[in-house]
Amino acid sequence: MSEPDKSAVRVEALEALLVEKGLVDPRVVDEVIEHYENNVGSMNGARVVARAWTDAKFRERLLADGTAAVAEFGFGGPEGQLIVAVENTPEVHNVVVCTLCSCYPWPLLGLPPAWYKSAEYRSRVVAEPRAVLTELGVEVSPDRRIRVWDSSAEARYLVLPERPAGTDHLDVDALAGLVTRDSMIGVGRPLAASGDAR
Amino acid sequence: MSETAELEADLEGPVSPPRDNGEIVFAAPWERRVFGITIALCRSGGCEWETFRGRLIARIGEDEQRAYWLSWALALEDVLASSGTVGGGELEERHLRLLARPHGHDH
Repeated sequence: MSEPDKSAVRVEALEALLVEKGLVDPRVVDEVIEHYENNVGSMNGARVVARAWTDAKFRERLLADGTAAVAEFGFGGPEGQLIVAVENTPEVHNVVVCTLCSCYPWPLLGLPPAWYKSAEYRSRVVAEPRAVLTELGVEVSPDRRIRVWDSSAEARYLVLPERPAGTDHLDVDALAGLVTRDSMIGVGRPLAASGDAR
Repeated sequence: MSETAELEADLEGPVSPPRDNGEIVFAAPWERRVFGITIALCRSGGCEWETFRGRLIARIGEDEQRAYWLSWALALEDVLASSGTVGGGELEERHLRLLARPHGHDH
């Protein structure tokens, strides 16, 4: 190999010291990584959204206390406390950001994508949300308000997007297949129902 | 279904970087490693998540152009140094020692 990557070796040194001090078990580190790579992803959030679309009582619970409602699915844990669901309506479109770092509802959406953590998204979506959404292909009609939610340790937001038209015949699993990660951040829409939708 | 059960059920997995809607979350193995170390430390009580988050905000804020996971790694170093868990001196010493290994042993 060529020159060693200094950052990689730095992390290796840090882990070696933590292991020697008995503060970190490398197997636990492996487990954490595997868990987030394989078990946690936006499908969790999609199941929550689809349930809210089909079960009015659950939707009420989700909007009243997101943390408790998603715990009904077994989602939660130390990295996902204080989930707040915000609902898109004909009057309001919601979009989520973390202006200071990268707060995000991990148990529901997995780890945040690179663009969510970028300085550009974090600053621009607050300053000119309508323009950013248009660039991302989400046209929000002028008479609809855009609310930008700044995630923090106090609240990690999940957007409850509009149920697509023409989906009355779909069951909850099929509906979950229409819910995209981006629609739960507010920078996308759920997929449209189509004859061959999976 | 407890998280622990899920963890133990899936110790074998692909080593490819995770992709979320086609986007790579970790660009290099050390990024996923430093993420895993941080979460493992928080779970074992070796690091308070809120303390870490405060340091992460500070590191991101001081240089918006710095790569995200580099800010993350620096924030973790900050937390461990300020709690006296891993001193800057011993980390520096170990880092230099590992860098001095023959190339090809730096993975």
